[in-house]
Amino acid sequence: MRIHVELLGLSRLAAGAKEIALDLEEGTTFRDIVRLLGTRYPAMIGNVIQPDGETLQSPNIFNLNVKRMIKTNQMGDSPSDGDRIILMSISAGG
Amino acid sequence: MYGYSGKILHIDLATRKTWVESKPEQWYKIYIGGVSMASRLCWENIEVGCDPLSPGNPICIANGIFAGTPVPVGGKYGMASKSPLTGFIGDSMSGSWFPVALKRTGWDGFVIHGASDKWVNVFIDDDKIEFRDASHLLGLGTTETEEAISEEFGDDQVRSATIGPAGENLARIANVSNDGRKAGRTGHGAVWGSKKLKALSIRGTHGVSVADPETLLKLSYEILQAAQGPHTQKYRVLGTSSNVLNMNKLGLLPTRNYQQGTFEDAELISGEYLHEHYKAKTIACAQCPIACEQVGQVKEGPYAGAMGHVEYESLYALSSNCGVNSFPAIIQAITNCNEFGLDTMSSGVTISWAMECYQRGVFTKEDFKCEKYPDGFEAEFGNGEAVVTLTEMIANREGYMGNLLAEGTKRASAQVDEERGTETYKWAMHIKGLECPGYDARTLKTFALGLAAGTRGACHNRTAAYDPDIKGEVDRFSVDETRGRLAKSTEEYAAVYDTLPLCKFIRRCFTGKADRAGAWPAIANLINATTGWDFDYDAVDLIGERAHTIKKAFNIREGWTREDDHLPYRWQYEPMEVGPSAGYVVTDEELEYLKDIYYEAKGWTKDGLIPKEKLIALGMDDVAEEIGV
Repeated sequence: MRIHVELLGLSRLAAGAKEIALDLEEGTTFRDIVRLLGTRYPAMIGNVIQPDGETLQSPNIFNLNVKRMIKTNQMGDSPSDGDRIILMSISAGG
Repeated sequence: MYGYSGKILHIDLATRKTWVESKPEQWYKIYIGGVSMASRLCWENIEVGCDPLSPGNPICIANGIFAGTPVPVGGKYGMASKSPLTGFIGDSMSGSWFPVALKRTGWDGFVIHGASDKWVNVFIDDDKIEFRDASHLLGLGTTETEEAISEEFGDDQVRSATIGPAGENLARIANVSNDGRKAGRTGHGAVWGSKKLKALSIRGTHGVSVADPETLLKLSYEILQAAQGPHTQKYRVLGTSSNVLNMNKLGLLPTRNYQQGTFEDAELISGEYLHEHYKAKTIACAQCPIACEQVGQVKEGPYAGAMGHVEYESLYALSSNCGVNSFPAIIQAITNCNEFGLDTMSSGVTISWAMECYQRGVFTKEDFKCEKYPDGFEAEFGNGEAVVTLTEMIANREGYMGNLLAEGTKRASAQVDEERGTETYKWAMHIKGLECPGYDARTLKTFALGLAAGTRGACHNRTAAYDPDIKGEVDRFSVDETRGRLAKSTEEYAAVYDTLPLCKFIRRCFTGKADRAGAWPAIANLINATTGWDFDYDAVDLIGERAHTIKKAFNIREGWTREDDHLPYRWQYEPMEVGPSAGYVVTDEELEYLKDIYYEAKGWTKDGLIPKEKLIALGMDDVAEEIGV
């Protein structure tokens, strides 16, 4: 399956890209995608991704198809072909 | 007492007399500092029912408990007066060197009464108070004023809070500035202007006495270390302006006066774009290891030389909400607001209201006549120069439009509707008179409740209820029975930080978790090491409820009713047509239900009034006597 990951904020700076396409095996989980991002873009480790390489650093979070946020207990779920994930860092103020 | 002096300084600008009021330790345990103590001082000293721009409205300043100590991000103070925008409590917060100097004077706070007949700079030099002529400072911008005062004294340890031309001209959306930071929203600048108070300058030379210096230093160092790690990375590198793309993706970015929630040029006004093209430097407040302020600079073109702090809330208001995609114009508009002493959010939202009036034919080019454009100008959405020019006109109350918009959105729309028989109130985006923040609440239902019930009007910082909505902790598109408790919880959580005050950007740096369990025990340790008290989790939690309650009590005494907890017409009756938020509003039924369950969660009556026993349980017996039911 093919999904798209849109990168905002620190993840965009770390990756040097606004968006990437990933070809994944069926059953790949959101946690697997975090691992993959960490491997491909090591600069994300320590600020966007925790040092364990598989957990997003709060307040970074996946949004699925502009519909819903993927909560910590949903990181074992799998996206579907054509899904669009937005990696955003939410913290209001200013 | 440790951490406090136990003394409040009263200053009467009319008689030029001063006096000292001593407060008991129990009073400090209830009101602590910041916006809570400032609001309490306002409760004690205001002439109830007064015009906010009359001498009966005091300016109340309360320092932070941690100002001048090693506690990171604790260099903050609160300011309160009756808001000339809302007619209710106007509580603001600012930080950096001014509160540090204030702490070193030995005063816990000031109450400034009356009004001067001549422009004045009140200089507080430890325990000496001097009323200095300020007529030569008139017309100067906020930074210029601070620098001029510093030069007069030849001492950079003299720290000043000042107003710019906007405050001098009684613009109701004027703020107060110190060290480049702002006590914003709610129009404090106009209150200062009404008293002919151009500046408040402070030199403090005393030390700050704390109960357990060793422990406080150790705790502070641990927080400081954490504050330089991943929990604050976003703020340090990109600042709050990185929220532009987040909000745009979610359909929440106010665009063209909240007509849309997505902006086609969001990339061009994003924090990421700022970082790549216009960022000059980052700066920090005193006592702050985070340094979140991203300073944008324009190097060429008509706005070359403009340099301003680009925060998310300034960005949405002066860019997408005005349809502007030009960073140079945005930075110039922010710079103007900062130097003229105008609130960026209220300015942007009021200007966007005027632009919609122009879009709909209520206003014509001629309505925008000014010295710079004698024939007026086309105030269509997207015209960055129009936004820049309007900030100048508002600050100087120049021409018909400058004078009108200086009144803020609520009054401006009421005046125009009266004059022209229009219905511009339908796109006047305010709650209780305070202009709305940078999150469209049509699909943030908990946040909508928090804003509607907000004691100072449409303030995101005071409710903080966007957090569970945006993060998906609840379904932001719908309403359920949990939202009353949630809105109570988030506003009281925020009130703890605003009362100490501590900058909320530190909230993940205590234990890695920003929730109460993660932060309150650590904050209790900081309070105890500073004061010698024995605060625990529950005592810290009560700080927030008490802070919110004194502000609510103030409003009730000024005539608040349930109908004042409202939303802008647009959010209730005009759904967006495109984007993730399309099709949604907050219906009448939803809003009334939300208010019901919120008042219930607060322990208030169905009319939103506070039972006497509730106030007595919070230690506010005298408040219970006056407004309890």
